[in-house]
Amino acid sequence: MRQALVLAVALAAVVAVPWIAPIYHVLLMLPFMAYGVVLLGLNLLFGYTGLVSFGHALFIGLGAYTAAFLTGLFKVRALEVILLTAAVVAAVVAMPVAAFCVRYVKIYFGMLTLAFGMVFYTFLLKFYRLTGGDEGMPVARPFLLGRDLGDMPKIEYLAGPYYYYSLVVLIVAIAVMWRIVHSPFGLCLKTIRDNPAKAETLGISVPHYRWTAFVISAVYAGVGGALLATPTGNVDPTLAYWTHSGNLVFMTLLGGFASFFGPLVGAFVFIYLQDFVMSVVPYWRLVFGAILAALVIFAPGGLLGLFPRRRVIEAA
Amino acid sequence: MLAVKNVDVYIQASHILRSVSLDVGAREVVCLVGRNGAGKTTTLRTVMGYLRPRAGTITFKGVRVDGRRTHEIARLGVGWAPEDSGIFPDLTVAENIEIATWTRPGGSPAAERLARAYEVFPVLKTYAARKGPEMSGGERKMLSIARALALDPEMLILDEPFEGLSPAIVPVISASIATVTRLGHSILLAESNIHHVPEYADRLYVIERGEVIFAGQPHEAWKDPGVVRVIGGQT
Repeated sequence: MRQALVLAVALAAVVAVPWIAPIYHVLLMLPFMAYGVVLLGLNLLFGYTGLVSFGHALFIGLGAYTAAFLTGLFKVRALEVILLTAAVVAAVVAMPVAAFCVRYVKIYFGMLTLAFGMVFYTFLLKFYRLTGGDEGMPVARPFLLGRDLGDMPKIEYLAGPYYYYSLVVLIVAIAVMWRIVHSPFGLCLKTIRDNPAKAETLGISVPHYRWTAFVISAVYAGVGGALLATPTGNVDPTLAYWTHSGNLVFMTLLGGFASFFGPLVGAFVFIYLQDFVMSVVPYWRLVFGAILAALVIFAPGGLLGLFPRRRVIEAA
Repeated sequence: MLAVKNVDVYIQASHILRSVSLDVGAREVVCLVGRNGAGKTTTLRTVMGYLRPRAGTITFKGVRVDGRRTHEIARLGVGWAPEDSGIFPDLTVAENIEIATWTRPGGSPAAERLARAYEVFPVLKTYAARKGPEMSGGERKMLSIARALALDPEMLILDEPFEGLSPAIVPVISASIATVTRLGHSILLAESNIHHVPEYADRLYVIERGEVIFAGQPHEAWKDPGVVRVIGGQT
C-alpha cells in the first residue's frame, strides 16, 4: 500500500515535470527515462540472475545506431518502427553473444561481455564509411504515433511529445519487466542467482535461463539506446565504450540492485548528480569515484537498500 | 527403476567410488549407510549428474542417465533433497515448493502436487509466506523434501535427512518419509547413522571407502561382522 502510494506520487511528479520544472530539468529527464529502460533490463541480469555485465553499452550502441541508420539511410521516421527494430537488432546480436558469455560466471562473464562491447566499439570507430567513425551519425527527428512534428521547435518537441512518449515507453517497460520478474521464469532466475547447482535439481536448465535473461536485457538496452539517440540528435562510438557500461553498473549499484525500482532511482540520481557535480568541479569523475567507494563501503544495498523492507509473515 | 552398475568415480586424481552397484525398485525404500567420507554423497551426486562416472552405467526407468545434465535427470523424475536442504533464501516457502511444479510440467496437475506436499508436511502451510532463513533446521529439511515431492518424481533421493536435527524432530521427519513411500514414490536415502535407518526400509547398502561392502535386508546387516565393525559403533 505504501509502495503503491510512493509510486503514484512519483508518477504524478514525472508527469507534471514539463509543466512545473525549468526546461533544462525537463530535458535531463529524457536520458533518465532512456537509461531507466536500459537498467530495468540490465538488472534482470545483474540483480535477478547474478551476472554482472560490463559490456551492455554494446546494446545501447546497437539501439542508437539502429535509430541513426533507419532515420538517415532508410528514411524510416516512425519511432514505433525504430524501437521495434532496435529491439530485434539487439536480440539478434545478443543471441550468439549470450551463448558464449553465459557459459561463464563471475569475473569471466564480466570480462567476456566487456570484450564483446569493445569489439563493437572498435567496429564503430574503424568502419567510418559505414558508421561515421568517431564523428558518428546524425539522427533525424522521428515521427511520434505517425505524426511528423518537424515544424515544432526542437526544445518544444523534446520537452512535450517526446517526453511523454519516452514516459509511456518507460511505463510499458516497467510493467513488462514487473511481469517477468514475478513470473515463474523470474523466480527461476532468482534460484539460479542463489544457487545454480541446486536450481538444476529442480529441472531448471541454468544456461538456457541465463541466455534468455541476457537476450531480454539486451532488448531493453536496445530500446533504451534508440530512445537516447533522439535528444542528442547524433550517435557516436562512445555510446558503446566500456566506461559507458561501467556507468550502467554504477547506476544500478547506486540505486540498489536488490530492489526492482533501485536501478531507476540510480539512473535518476546519477544523471542529476553528474550534472550538478560537472557544473561545480572539473574533476567530476574523481567525485564519482569517491561516491562509488563510499556506497560500496557504507551502503552496499544502494540508496533503496537504506530503507528497510517490511516483511509480511502470515500468522498461523 | 534406478540401476547403478559398477560405477567408478574420480574427483581429480582421487579414486572415490570403486565399482559401486545398487538398485532401487518401484515403490522401494533403499538406504545407503556409511561413515562420513565413505562415499554416500558422492554416490548420490553421481546419480544426480553432478559427477560423471569414469566407468559403469546408471539407468533410470531404463534410460541411461550417466553423463546427462542434472536438470535433465530431474526432469526424468528424480527429486533431490540435499544434506544442506538447499533452500532458496530469497523465495518464500510457498514459492520454494511451487517452483517445482513450473519447472517440470506434465504428470500430475500442479494443484495436486502442492496438495500432496502440504499433506506430507502440513506445518509448511502455516509458514507459506516465510522465507528460508526464517525457518529452523528441521523445517528446512521438510521444505527440501516437500519441494522435491512437488517435482512429481518417481524417485526421491534424500541425502542425510536426519543430519543435524534434534532427536525430537527425527521421528517427525521419519514419519513424513513413511507417508511419502505410501504415496508410491521410490526412495534412495543416504544416512551415516544406522539407527536412523527407518524400519520400513526394504534394502540396505553399506558403503565403506568407496566400496559397497554389504547389500541386503537391513536386519541381515547385523549378522555380518565386517559390516558391524563399520556401522555398529555408531549410536
